[in-house]
Amino acid sequence: MRQVWVVLRREYLERVKTKGFILATLGVPLIIMGLMAFSIFMGVRSERSEREMAVVDFTGGALAQDVAQGLEAVGYSVEIADPAAGAAGLDQRIEDDELAAYLVLDDLTVTDGTFVYRAKDSPGRMFSGLSRRIVVEAVLSARLDAAGDAAGVRGLLGGGEIEYEPVGLGDDSDDPGASIDRDVSTAAGMGASILLYMTTLVYGTYVLRSVLDEKRNRVVEVVISSLSPWQLMLGKVLGVASMGLTQLGIWAAFLGLIAMVGLPVLVANVPGTDVSQIIQFLPGPGLVLLFLLFFLLGYFLYASLFAAVGAMCNREEDAQQALFPVMMLLVIPFMLQMSTINGSRMAWVDWAALFPFFSPVLMYPRAVAGDVPTWMVALSLVLMAAAIAGMAWVAGRIYRVGILMQGKRPTLKELVRWVREA
Amino acid sequence: MNDPVVRLSGATKAFGKHTAVSGFDLRIPRGSIYGLLGPNGSGKTTTIRMIMGILLPDRGSVELLGGKPDFGRRSRVGYLPEERGVYEKMKVVDQLVFLGEIRGLERRIVRPRAMKWLERLGLGEWASKKVQDLSKGMQQKVQFIGTVLHEPELLILDEPFSGLDPINQDVLESIVREEREKGTTILFSTHLMEQAERLCERVCLISRSKKVLDGDLRELKRRERSGVVAVEFDDDPPRVSWPGVSAVEEAGTTLHLSLREGAGHDEVLAAAVGTGASLRRFELLEPRLHEIFVRHAGSDGAEAGGLGNGGVR
Repeated sequence: MRQVWVVLRREYLERVKTKGFILATLGVPLIIMGLMAFSIFMGVRSERSEREMAVVDFTGGALAQDVAQGLEAVGYSVEIADPAAGAAGLDQRIEDDELAAYLVLDDLTVTDGTFVYRAKDSPGRMFSGLSRRIVVEAVLSARLDAAGDAAGVRGLLGGGEIEYEPVGLGDDSDDPGASIDRDVSTAAGMGASILLYMTTLVYGTYVLRSVLDEKRNRVVEVVISSLSPWQLMLGKVLGVASMGLTQLGIWAAFLGLIAMVGLPVLVANVPGTDVSQIIQFLPGPGLVLLFLLFFLLGYFLYASLFAAVGAMCNREEDAQQALFPVMMLLVIPFMLQMSTINGSRMAWVDWAALFPFFSPVLMYPRAVAGDVPTWMVALSLVLMAAAIAGMAWVAGRIYRVGILMQGKRPTLKELVRWVREA
Repeated sequence: MNDPVVRLSGATKAFGKHTAVSGFDLRIPRGSIYGLLGPNGSGKTTTIRMIMGILLPDRGSVELLGGKPDFGRRSRVGYLPEERGVYEKMKVVDQLVFLGEIRGLERRIVRPRAMKWLERLGLGEWASKKVQDLSKGMQQKVQFIGTVLHEPELLILDEPFSGLDPINQDVLESIVREEREKGTTILFSTHLMEQAERLCERVCLISRSKKVLDGDLRELKRRERSGVVAVEFDDDPPRVSWPGVSAVEEAGTTLHLSLREGAGHDEVLAAAVGTGASLRRFELLEPRLHEIFVRHAGSDGAEAGGLGNGGVR
């Protein structure tokens, strides 16, 4: 076991000390933080100037009040301008950047629902949709008032809420996602799925490289004379895992920092948000733990595959080819997961998620969204653990023979012989 | 003490259709410098790998330090493979510490020991440089330090001298001799006969996967009479036809005369005296290893592997 520890420590230290690691680990979150700060800053700035609005109402009714109220509800400060003063003064104020824009409501607004938007720039998509709804609702409301239907139909204007009734899933009150909004949990699961896919691929490739390097620079024969191939492989895989956890840990710390510093700023500056609304996006400790479980099990499963591939190849180009089936194992579940990005579900994919090689990418997001019962999640974890034991056994045997082989890559038949005879 | 350090009995190893080592018997006594000689591709590396337990023989048995070559026994061996490598991106001293540690040494013991060796081989100031910044020869010295760091009782060196300049070859040779004085057994393979002749006490000659002969080098030489006579004159050697001689080579005032099979040197001496020239030296030359090898393996067996160097002049 001491030998495994020595190999692990070398692998870890030599990796963590590289420029690439430091850059990726610290650089990526710094860049993301920078981009976020920049976009928040820009957003806040533009929001500020755009929040000053005016409404000019030539219809002489209460339309201006309704529209102003609607806009104020979504965070704009709106003044109702005197139609007698005309528009010239307002144009001047826009030129002086005192006002972002003003809306002109007239008779056409009442009949067709059209209105004029005067500003330096054309309205953004968000504002177009928003203002259109507000104006149309105001006009409808005014017309309904005129028609004397104060209570009956008008209630419809506030309607349009969806009430979700699950079908065919039974009553799973302990679903982790039951209390969370479905869109949020689907998005969170999707993000985690992509992260699991990426990390498995990247860290697996590290293992492959490390094995290939030792073969290429022929250091492996010296090492193998002092410890067993199995110890070497285990130390290597654990070393890269430690590096991966370090990286993920640092990223998570950054994320926490962003959340702690960034959230109050966001809430203070963007109208219509509050902390509780955002808090629910953050995963609970149970889901983080489950993520780590899926990450580690998935990593070990694939790492042994990558190590075996590395051991049977001599050059990177060879490895690219030999890696193809392994890549398929990763890409297929990823594609399946992506096809459910709109939140749709297929029952057979839930079952496919039980296949150990697919589990990290497919099962974890389902667990987060609460799409599958708890026993399926547990079963997939057990199956993955069993698959790791089997894979490690096979990979260990291929590794043992492979690391000392130079020259041609073995055929499938030879590989089977290696596993049998090693 | 008389137990051999390494014992092979009938060891055979094939790779596919190619038999790398066939029916090999070997017995390496404790405390000697043992040379495993043969041209490239004759099976030296495969033999060594079997001794180290890296390859398992298809047939026959291998004993290392009195038993199976398991990890306990292997860690008492210092092994320098032919395909020796380094972690290029590691610091020199870190690399040595790593090599010591995987052989079970404590970190705090290895580090000063590694530094001492580096100083000794003139690499002291390179200790915290990356290995890739070192020249090939320096890297090879670092690898050698890695082999002796844990003070093994048996050193197995596969072609240790290849790639070293003459000065560093001498340095390595003197260290090998020193280790021998300390009681370490040394097994090394080479295709350089001259080197082996200088260094070895016992040799084993291999050709085409098979052992040709083995034993104490001095005894071998005594047994294998040379067919060459050196005759030195005070002045230019006379030009006469020498009886029973197949080839004459002239080097300054000395002649090397190769005797025909069955011819005696007495007639040559008589002929030399008979020329009337003033004779300074008449010597029956000891056979060179190469000569012995060729005699037993056939010249094609030696030449096939490019064993041209270090032969009879």
